[in-house]
Formats: sequence, structure tokens, C-alpha cells
Amino acid sequence: MSRSRRIWTLTTAFLGSALLAASAHADPMAEAEAIIAAHKTMPAFTAPGEAFDAKACMKDKKMFVIPLTMTNPFNVQVSKAMEEAAAVVGFPFANWDNQLKVDQWIQGMAQATAEGYSLIDLQGGIPPEALLPQIAAARDKGVKVTTTHLYDVTQTKSDSLDASAKTNYSQAGKILAAWAFKRTEGKPNVLIIGSDEIIPTAPFVKSIQDTLKSLCPDCKQKYVNVPVPEWGTKIQSSVQSALVADPGLNFVLPIYDSMSQFVVPALRLTGRMGAVKIASYNGTPFVIDMVRTGEVDMNIGESIGWIGYAAIDVNMRALCGLPPVEVLNSPLYIFDASNAETAGVPATFNDGYGDSHVAGFKTLWGIE
Amino acid sequence: MSAIDPAVRSRAASPAGGVSLKANAERFGLLAAWAGVVALFGALSPEAFLTWINFSTMFSSQAILVVLTLGLIIPLTAGDFDLSVASTMVLSAMTVAVLNALHGWPVGAAIVVALGLGFLIGLINAAFVLFFRIHSLIVTLGTGTFINGTVLWISGSQTVGGVSMALVDWVIVQRVFGISLSFYYAVILCAALWYFLEYTSPGRRLLFVGRGREVARLSGIAVDRVRLLSFIGSGVIAAFAGVLYAGTTGSADPLSGLTYLLPAFAAAFLGATSIVPGRFNPWGSFVAVYFLVSGITGLTILGVDTFVQNLFYGGGLVIAVALSQLVRKRQPQNFS
Repeated sequence: MSRSRRIWTLTTAFLGSALLAASAHADPMAEAEAIIAAHKTMPAFTAPGEAFDAKACMKDKKMFVIPLTMTNPFNVQVSKAMEEAAAVVGFPFANWDNQLKVDQWIQGMAQATAEGYSLIDLQGGIPPEALLPQIAAARDKGVKVTTTHLYDVTQTKSDSLDASAKTNYSQAGKILAAWAFKRTEGKPNVLIIGSDEIIPTAPFVKSIQDTLKSLCPDCKQKYVNVPVPEWGTKIQSSVQSALVADPGLNFVLPIYDSMSQFVVPALRLTGRMGAVKIASYNGTPFVIDMVRTGEVDMNIGESIGWIGYAAIDVNMRALCGLPPVEVLNSPLYIFDASNAETAGVPATFNDGYGDSHVAGFKTLWGIE
Repeated sequence: MSAIDPAVRSRAASPAGGVSLKANAERFGLLAAWAGVVALFGALSPEAFLTWINFSTMFSSQAILVVLTLGLIIPLTAGDFDLSVASTMVLSAMTVAVLNALHGWPVGAAIVVALGLGFLIGLINAAFVLFFRIHSLIVTLGTGTFINGTVLWISGSQTVGGVSMALVDWVIVQRVFGISLSFYYAVILCAALWYFLEYTSPGRRLLFVGRGREVARLSGIAVDRVRLLSFIGSGVIAAFAGVLYAGTTGSADPLSGLTYLLPAFAAAFLGATSIVPGRFNPWGSFVAVYFLVSGITGLTILGVDTFVQNLFYGGGLVIAVALSQLVRKRQPQNFS
């Protein structure tokens, strides 16, 4: 290739990619609407991997789940859903009741290892780093150790684990950013609230920040970190101060939706209720109720029943030597004023998402 | 009976009969520090900090902590600890939410039940402390934990939303001079408690019991009855704080309200260094709460990280008490 032709080719490629990049953001509102539209339709089941005979594979195996804490309804409901899915397949399943205490987790690990369980699932937020000696001891005895609903899809699982089904927090971040962009007609001025000690918070927040920058490079955004134990005393004051410091603030994104209950009083006290909107992620029933009553603008939910079935699917694949499923098969679904009632009055963890996952997983597992 | 503590009076009067500058510095030091904090952040961020909306928001949002602290200083004055106040507050908020939002009770009836539970908890605490002669720290630690379990049980470990908007209206939506009614409830309670402690005979008996139980008993004071009433007062006021908590958030969370315990103790001890130094007192606690929140709000407006709030809270408490001790020439403090 001659030098001039090479320069021409490179120039064409550069201009082409520049044009492509420009066209991608030619209409940021259309882009935001496309992100939202993908999560406004009723979730449909898609198989996370190849079909297998679950009953035959799990015939001589049993599963032990240690939830983060049984004082958190999310963990309680996920464990219940996992138990239900295990019953569908028909293998022994045990859930370790605890109250967010490391010594209780350690006790659970020891008990599961001693009783010959095939797999231990650290469900919904237990950092494996807190249990490294116990995980090593369990794996030495041939017990597989996994996590459910812990990492973001962009994060690498700990080497101490056999498998980990990651959650698409990054996509939830994109949806929140797109929602704020759309609802403010392209002029978001956003306060993001997160808790840095929760493992997926960093990529979740980064996704919101990057999406906002991409849709609207000049728009203002601010991040506040409030540790979980201090939600009750610090979120309200932080939001109030942010609203006082910047009267132009028009959207608050508390990334975990139980934070919303402390954002609402801050808006009421500063007289900004209605003018400043709230959108969040998790699908906790009382927050979907707040969407229905207009205190919260939008909440991204995941069907807990779906998460339970998907987690059991991931764990069975780990036990049966099948290729791992990297992303938990639990679709994100938007609840706003138009559909909040479908989640029930009062809302529940499972209503509103449909139940295509039940038949879908049963078929995948060769049960029906 | 004197309206002013004899110790305070002797410190406040100079040998010549004038008012001692040092005593006044001690009494009003925290107020001056509060003014200093306001001036500092006002200078650093005048357009945001020195606005009425900022002050009205601060006054409104801290009413729960003020009320909880006021509940706490009653047993502290009698020489007892009540570590169950935050749990009582959460139980009260959850009771209002469960009865009103889930079972459809009128909010007024739910509030009466919540306050009744506060009364009952005070009675139970007092019964164990006085009948079995167990230290209040141990009893209230146990009852607080028991109450936390009860809250998780009745709530199903879930946040219960949908509390009547009528309560929300009467707590934070309705305003006078731009400040929510919750602030005025706290001020009224503060004034009532101050009057009770300074100008009524049961209030003075409470102080005597705190200063020395044996001396009080020998003076003919029914010490056990006074301590019983102090626990009941603490329980009912903590339950009232719970009603305000439910009215502020419009919901009840089984766990987050428990984090109010340490700030309430911090405000009670910090408050005991001012207005009536060396004694837990309502106005001192009131000033302490707003001194701390002014600093924290200023830092937040400046965009400082959240952990700095903890540094200010903890550091502010220790430094203020230490300065107060310097003024007192490092005499041992006997808080009661």
C-alpha cells in the first residue's frame, strides 16, 4: 500500500469513526428514551444457558445458603424464592438464619461444611473476603462456594469462589441516568447518593456518572457517600444541604431505594417536593408504593422470585460441571406512575413482573 | 427551694457579689461556639449557609433528636442510664405505621397506643432496676435489644410506608415562620421540662435523687418512686420522638432510627457543659443539638465528605467538654 493511500485510508477511518461517534449522540433524548423503553416492557424469559436434567444432576446433592442478614426483607425473600426453586427440583436446601454478624456467618460455614453440603451460597451481599479461611476449609472438603447478587457485571469475582452470578447494576445506573435526563427534558442537575462500602456501589455510581456525561456533558452532578448504618441520620441532612447549596438541583438518585424514605422528608422540609424528583433501584415494595402515591418518580425493580430461580440455576450449573452463567438472569423492570399499581396495593416483591421465569426455568431444567 | 443549683450559684457569684466572668464563660461557652460556627460557615458560604431556608431546615429536621435527648436527660438527671430510648422511639414509629398504614387504625388511636407502649417500657425498665436492684445500664441494654427484636417481628423486617398524611402534615408540612411544627413541639417540650426541673418540687426531687440517693432518702424523698417516674417519662418522650419520626418520613424503618442513640447521648453530655454546667439540662441539650448540626450542615454545604461529619460530632463533643473543664480548672465533673 502506498504512503498516500495509507494516509487516505487512515483519514477515512478516523472521519468515519468520528461520524459514528457523533451520530451515536446526535439525539441524546432518543438514546435515553431507547434505554428506558428496553426496560418498560414486561420481562420475558430467556434461557441463561443450555438445558440440562436438573433432577438427575442434583439427585445426591444438597445446598446451603447464608444470606447477608435475615433482618433485610430483600435477603429473606431471595432465600424463600431459592427454597421454592429447590423444592421444584427436589433437592435438600437449608437457609442459615443470621443478623449481619460475622461470627454467625462463620458458624454457618462450619456447619454446612461439617454436614456435607455440596454447595454454600453467600447470598445478597456477604463479601467473601470476610470468610476466606472458612471458604478455603469448605473447598478443601470439596464444597463449592458461590455468591448471588453481589458483584456488578463489570467486577471480577474473588478467586476464592467457584462461581458468582453477577447483577447488572451498571445497566440500572444507565437507566437512572437516562430517566433523570428524560424527566428534566435534557437538563438534569443530579445528586447521587450511594454507600461506598457496598461492593457494587462504585461501578453502579460510575455508570450513572458516565451515562450522564455522555448524554449531557455540561450537566451538573454530585455524589454523596452515606454509609449504611448512617442512612437514618445522614441522608436527610445531606440532601437538605445539597438543596440549599444548589437551588438548581432537580433530581435525586438514591441508588438503593430504601434510602428514598430519608430523601422525601428533605424535599418536604426544603419545600422542593414535586420540583425535585427521585428515582432509584431495587423494587422494594414500600418504595413502589411511594411511586404509586407520587413521592418517588420511578423505581427499577427485579422480581425476587426470578432472582431465586436464577440463583438456583447458577448454583446447579456449578455443581453439575456445566459452563458458568456470568450474569444473573433477572431482568430490570421500570415502575413509574403508569404501572406501579400492577405491583399490588400495597406492593409486593413479586407482583407486576409476570411469571414467565417459572415455566422457563422448569423447561430449562427438564421438569416440564 | 432554690431555682439555681447552689454549686452553680456559688460559681456564678464573685466574692464581691458580682457575676463571675469565668462562670458565664462556662455557661454560655457553647452558645458562643455555636455563634462562632455560624459565623465561620456564614463567611465561607454566605449565599447558601446564611439563608432562612437553611436555618429553617436545620431547625425542623433536628426536632426528633432534640425530643429524644430531652427524654434521655430525665433518667440521667436521676442518675440512671436509659439505653433503650432509641429502640423505644423505633417501636413507637413502627407501631404507628403498622396500626395506621397496615391495619387502617385512625392515626390518633395509633399514636395513643404508641405512647402507651412508651409508658409500659418505662415501667418495665423501672421494675427491673428497682425491684431486682440491677444497674440501669444492663436492664435498658437488655430491654432495648428485646424491643429491637419486637420491631423486626411486628414489621416482618420491612419498612412500612403509607403513614397518614395528616400526621406528616402536623409534623413537617405545616409551618410557622417557615419552620415545621415539629420544631415547636420540641421547643414546648424543652420549656416544659426546664420549668419542671427548675420550678416544681418533683423536679427538684429528681435533681436531689441524682445528686445523692442516700442523702435524698434520708431527707424523706421516695427515691424509688422518683426513679420510676423518670423511666416512665423517658419512655413516653422517646415514644413521642417515634411519633415525630413516623410523621417526618411518612414511614417506619425497623433499624435506621437506632443510630439516634449515640447522637442523643452526645447532645445530653455536651448540653451538660452549658447553660447549667455540670447538670443535664434541657436548654443546654437544645443548644448542643443545634451547635452540632450547624457544623455538620456547614461542612456538607462546603461539599466535605460524610466521614468528616463523624469527626465533627466526636471531636466537637470531646473538645467542648475539655474546654469546659479548663474553665472549671479541671475539677472532676459529677453529671447527674
